[in-house]
Amino acid sequence: MVQDYVFPGTVEQAVAMLAESKGRARVIAGGTDLVLDMRDGKITADKLVDLRAIDGMQRIVEHDDSISIGASVTHSQIVRSTLLRHHAPGLVDACRKVGSLQIRNVATVVGNVVNGNPAADAAVALACLDATATVVDEQGTRTIPFNELYAGICISCINSSCQIVTQISFPKKKAGEGSSYIRMEQRKALSLPMLNVSSKVRVINSQFQDVQLLMAPVGAGPQHAVTAEDFLMGKDITDENIRQAGVLAREQATFRSSAVRGSKEYRIGVLPVCVERALRAAIADAQEG
Amino acid sequence: MANLRAVGKSVDRRDGVDKTTGRALFTSDMTFPGMLHAKVLRSPHAHARIVSIDTSKAEKLDGVKAVMTHKNGPKNLFNAAAPMFLTVSNLERVLDQYLFDEIVRYVGDEVAAVAATTEAIAEKALSLIEVEYELLPAVLDAEEAMSENAPELHAGKGCTPEGKNIPGEIIRIPYGDVEKGLKESDVVIEKSFTLPIVKQVQMETQSAVAQVSGSGDVTVWSTTQTPHPSRAILGQVFGIPASKIRVLAPPYVGGGFGVRIGLSGLAEAIALGLALQAKRPVKMVYSRKEDFIASDTRHPATVTVKLGAKKDGTFHALDLKGIFNTGAYCGFGTELPGVCGAMTLAIYRIPHQRYLGHSVYTNRTSSGAMRGFGNPQGNFALEQVVDMMADALGMSPYELRLKNIMKVNDPWCLPFPCLSTELAECMKQASESIGWEKRESLKASAPHKVRGMGMAVGTHVSNAWPFCVDYDNAYFTVQSDGTVHVASGVPEMGTGVCTSLIQIAADAFGIDMDRISLSFGDTLTTPFDIGSHASRTCYAAGLAIKEAAEDARAQIFDYVAPYFDVTPEMVSLQDGYVFVSSLSDPDAASVVSLDDVKEHKQSKVSLENIAYHAHVRNKQFISTGKIVPKNAPPWHVCFADVEVDTETGKVDVLNLVAAHDVGTAVNPMIVEGQIEGGVVQGLGYALTEEIRYNDSGVQTHSNMHSYMLPTAEDIPPMKSIIVESHDPTGPFGAKGAGECSLVCPASAIANALANATNIRFTELPATPERIFAKLHPQN
Repeated sequence: MVQDYVFPGTVEQAVAMLAESKGRARVIAGGTDLVLDMRDGKITADKLVDLRAIDGMQRIVEHDDSISIGASVTHSQIVRSTLLRHHAPGLVDACRKVGSLQIRNVATVVGNVVNGNPAADAAVALACLDATATVVDEQGTRTIPFNELYAGICISCINSSCQIVTQISFPKKKAGEGSSYIRMEQRKALSLPMLNVSSKVRVINSQFQDVQLLMAPVGAGPQHAVTAEDFLMGKDITDENIRQAGVLAREQATFRSSAVRGSKEYRIGVLPVCVERALRAAIADAQEG
Repeated sequence: MANLRAVGKSVDRRDGVDKTTGRALFTSDMTFPGMLHAKVLRSPHAHARIVSIDTSKAEKLDGVKAVMTHKNGPKNLFNAAAPMFLTVSNLERVLDQYLFDEIVRYVGDEVAAVAATTEAIAEKALSLIEVEYELLPAVLDAEEAMSENAPELHAGKGCTPEGKNIPGEIIRIPYGDVEKGLKESDVVIEKSFTLPIVKQVQMETQSAVAQVSGSGDVTVWSTTQTPHPSRAILGQVFGIPASKIRVLAPPYVGGGFGVRIGLSGLAEAIALGLALQAKRPVKMVYSRKEDFIASDTRHPATVTVKLGAKKDGTFHALDLKGIFNTGAYCGFGTELPGVCGAMTLAIYRIPHQRYLGHSVYTNRTSSGAMRGFGNPQGNFALEQVVDMMADALGMSPYELRLKNIMKVNDPWCLPFPCLSTELAECMKQASESIGWEKRESLKASAPHKVRGMGMAVGTHVSNAWPFCVDYDNAYFTVQSDGTVHVASGVPEMGTGVCTSLIQIAADAFGIDMDRISLSFGDTLTTPFDIGSHASRTCYAAGLAIKEAAEDARAQIFDYVAPYFDVTPEMVSLQDGYVFVSSLSDPDAASVVSLDDVKEHKQSKVSLENIAYHAHVRNKQFISTGKIVPKNAPPWHVCFADVEVDTETGKVDVLNLVAAHDVGTAVNPMIVEGQIEGGVVQGLGYALTEEIRYNDSGVQTHSNMHSYMLPTAEDIPPMKSIIVESHDPTGPFGAKGAGECSLVCPASAIANALANATNIRFTELPATPERIFAKLHPQN
């Protein structure tokens, strides 16, 4: 039962407030998942620590080489951001797909990641962007690579009763780079993805240089389609190579069947075409400049 | 026809401002001093016997005021749906349910109920009830439930001897000689179709507040669509005379779509049972999950069509069969298969027809009424076979339908005549709107997409006869200031009747709508009415009000005629003024008092003056309307334009057009709302909505998150077209309008999918997964 709801003014204060509650306090960053989980008894807390009063947390910041998204930045802010539309169009598309407008106005991108759901839209889109998370706790500040944020299926490495992810950062788009996000869904709003794919490519002379290809839900957090990534490295951009990447991703994918979100067979069946579409969209973004 | 001043106009809804500003009251808003909150313990098992139940810890919890189980609940068998009270005289009622029973028959069945001072205490008390179950074999599938080894759900409680687990009786509609007709046909097509469980998902969940007075008078605020029948059902459940029970809405009901024709789930009975024990008001509001798993769904069904036609496209024989899974309790399980047969057979002029249909008990949530009431299931099957027949004959589906659709006074299987149809005009206008002539040359938006168009046609009813008891009444009072009060037993559940019935009253009587008030949805202040369902409210209650208005008008004419020095037939009433009928321009006529009109024959007298004139002479104009409605078929079409992503199975509906012949559209804006809402529900039925079960009999789709209602973003461009006819049996020519819109959309979308993909989808919903599986059988 929540007894207290606090708005610290600095990150240090927030960390101290969590520490003094010795595990009985929790960060709330939006709360569109947390409140439901608390009502269902899955999570309990005596105190909720809301980060919105901390200066800077609610901003998308452009640095020389990177962009950072503060802990209180909502999905709606991302959707409206022209900066991100240019540097991370897949992330914008992913955020537009979350919940409904009311939910997007409240739900935060960092919360979407820390919740730990492997197929969370924003998380899958960020996973291909070489993103890092800035984590603060009593021990200090650390930067953790995105793929180290997951401890298991729907389990985050972040302990929200003592740690705060203050921002997620990723490099700005460089010449020849492009990214994308694709999801399969049962309806256009208020639906979790049946599966999703994100991709980032660097294209030089019509060849794939760096390729990031991620898919979910196939494990703890978004998973790299490693064999497909390796296969594409240095290959020409051809229909055949793109198709082959889809086939390789399928061989690696280990979907499970869900009575609500689709069968394993269907997810495996449409994964190749989702991979193809993600790659084509990322290539188009790269060629657009 | 007298000048229509209100009927046919899109006047603003009377409930509009209150509903859009949050002032309108619903049952779930009600609160009373000392009111308790009820919570229900529900079965986790699909079929089990309660070996022991210990409520002592719950009873001791501070704040708990009443606990009810099968040990202390009422022991009268009932049917929670309206057939308990509205079964026609040639059928036997199926009474198969106790409020609490020692056998639980589906996951969600009621085991115990608690009333406590807060919801949290009631919830906590549930966790303190100790129940020991003996698991019984469960059966989920209808076919399996009819097999020899299946467990019997309701032995000795009104099952037909013709088959196992079949409640009531098997419905047969014979017409002509179907075997002969099929033999004489040049082409015969047979196909079976599978329809899913879908839910009404009305906005307000099942709710009731029950209050018992010191003298034993019972008041129940309720979300029911049928206040008067619900009063009768409660009376029989508890053995209380109906005259001591008042059922009402406060005054609005947050939607229905058929889910509470009879009791609202069991909310009224649970609240009343606990209120009788606790001697305090008790409120029972279903959670959305409870609404999903423990109140009626649409019947899932298997429908088989065998259609025979001559080479020239003339339909010659139709053999139809429908098996409906009615779940744990019968509800409408006897009536609904009959409506499916009758409505599906009534679309086309076919000399040889036969229908066989029935329900089957299984260990699932009970199925019951949902907008369309069996008609969408049959329509989906027949309308796809009609398209298959068109393909087989090399005809266009449009021309084939046009050749065979019912015309005025054509013979059919229904016990009332078809006196109006503008179906052909509906087809014409809808096809023009969607661009049907381009069907053969449609272009998809991408190489991996295919596009198609489909259509479907159908009919429905304008009241419940001959499937249920149906008659109606109205009170009509001209008050001493000349304004009018009307009382009708129907509730306002969002369909706009508290506006449209006043439009009918205004024109039937001859007075402005603003001078009429309406009592509705309350058994104490209104005469008996069977409720708001079967697309009947405007039609049947409207007829009763019209008759009452005409009676009151005649009383006034009798009263004023001597003052005008004419006979009663020679006066008229319009816009609140009485004048001699020969008056050329009543609007421009001067106003005089009744005592002076003899000297001023070219003048008019106000109702206000007449009513007061009568009042001070000890007279008031009061009338009743008492009608037995005939019935009339509304007609409707839906056209769909779809695009299918062949690589993923995903469907984009590009356009939906519906055209409806609802007779006279009493309020066209409300009719358009009815069409649009139903078409969107049909879109969900076609593509996304479905409740499934796991092997243990647990519902896998039991909340808004998993149940895929279309969202605002999913709704495609839509057009609603009203094609008016004039049905001689309805008030001012009106017919039913509430349900039609949900009958054809799934059929039309399925035909469009077949047109796009050359694959016939026989199972709903046509999810990307099902479409992908058919497009890529190797994957």
